[in-house]
Amino acid sequence: MTVSSRPGQHFTNTARQAVFILMISLFVGAAVNLIRPDSIPFVDSWSMAEKLATENGGTMAISLSEAATLFEKDAAVFLDARSPAEYDQGHIQGAVNLPWHEVDNYFETVIMALDPEAMTITYCDGEACTLSHDLAALLKDLGFTRVKVLVNGWTLWQERQLPTNAPSS
Amino acid sequence: MPQKKISHDVILTILYHFTRLVMAGVFIYASIDKIIHPDLFAEAVYNYQVLPGYLVNLTALILPWLELTLGTCLLINRWMAGASALAAMLMALFVGLIIFNLARGLDISCGCFSTAPDEDPVTFLTLARDLVLLCLAWCLAGLTLYQNIRRYQPE
Repeated sequence: MTVSSRPGQHFTNTARQAVFILMISLFVGAAVNLIRPDSIPFVDSWSMAEKLATENGGTMAISLSEAATLFEKDAAVFLDARSPAEYDQGHIQGAVNLPWHEVDNYFETVIMALDPEAMTITYCDGEACTLSHDLAALLKDLGFTRVKVLVNGWTLWQERQLPTNAPSS
Repeated sequence: MPQKKISHDVILTILYHFTRLVMAGVFIYASIDKIIHPDLFAEAVYNYQVLPGYLVNLTALILPWLELTLGTCLLINRWMAGASALAAMLMALFVGLIIFNLARGLDISCGCFSTAPDEDPVTFLTLARDLVLLCLAWCLAGLTLYQNIRRYQPE
């Protein structure tokens, strides 16, 4: 072994071993997913529009302008699916807090008080936030007939400078 | 002088095994919950919003096994050159992603050690923790390189 080849040898080993480790992970990961009962598809589309698609080909998503119109007419109930702490920092004016992660605790106080026939719009924050459509799906299962999701609601609402309830300080 | 050299070597060896075992523990521990819940981990990967949709599930299926495999290599002290380099690169990637999403102000769960959506939010504390782990990982990669080069030295 010559002196000059030592670092070279190390880097060749590094690359070879790294490729081995990657290949083992790839193989085992794929094999385990093939045999386990709760496997997931190797490729999934993960698009928000698809997640909100309803069985009859429609969508649960509502645009900001539609939501704003309903808000002005006072024709919809807004449900904030975020945590109480986030809700306290500010929310759509008049929105009711129904945190998805604690939804069981709010069942009697909030959900039972809602009108299942009324237009109901759920929202949370961020393009990828799924709290609002988890909540919307639950409400649909409970028999709510007109449930919509305002995707990325809190951010869009603020950007458009629509009425909010500021944090209570 | 020789005494000084020996104590220097002892310290480096201790440091090497310390960082090796810490990183092994971190990677193996981090992989377990993700391997048990691939669907939840896929959601965590998706929420980072850096990968195109078709790569989300593949990443969620392979990454935990990569963590487990390289964690095991670190634990049993085999293929250390490759495992320590991968560990260093993965930690750099994780730190980069956390900084990217903190800067974007995205409120997401880390998915680092737990796949439960609200258990592990990304905060500056997450960043601090991962920076410490990044230092350890780079330290280990450096020490592995040093040891491998020394092994070929005459005498």
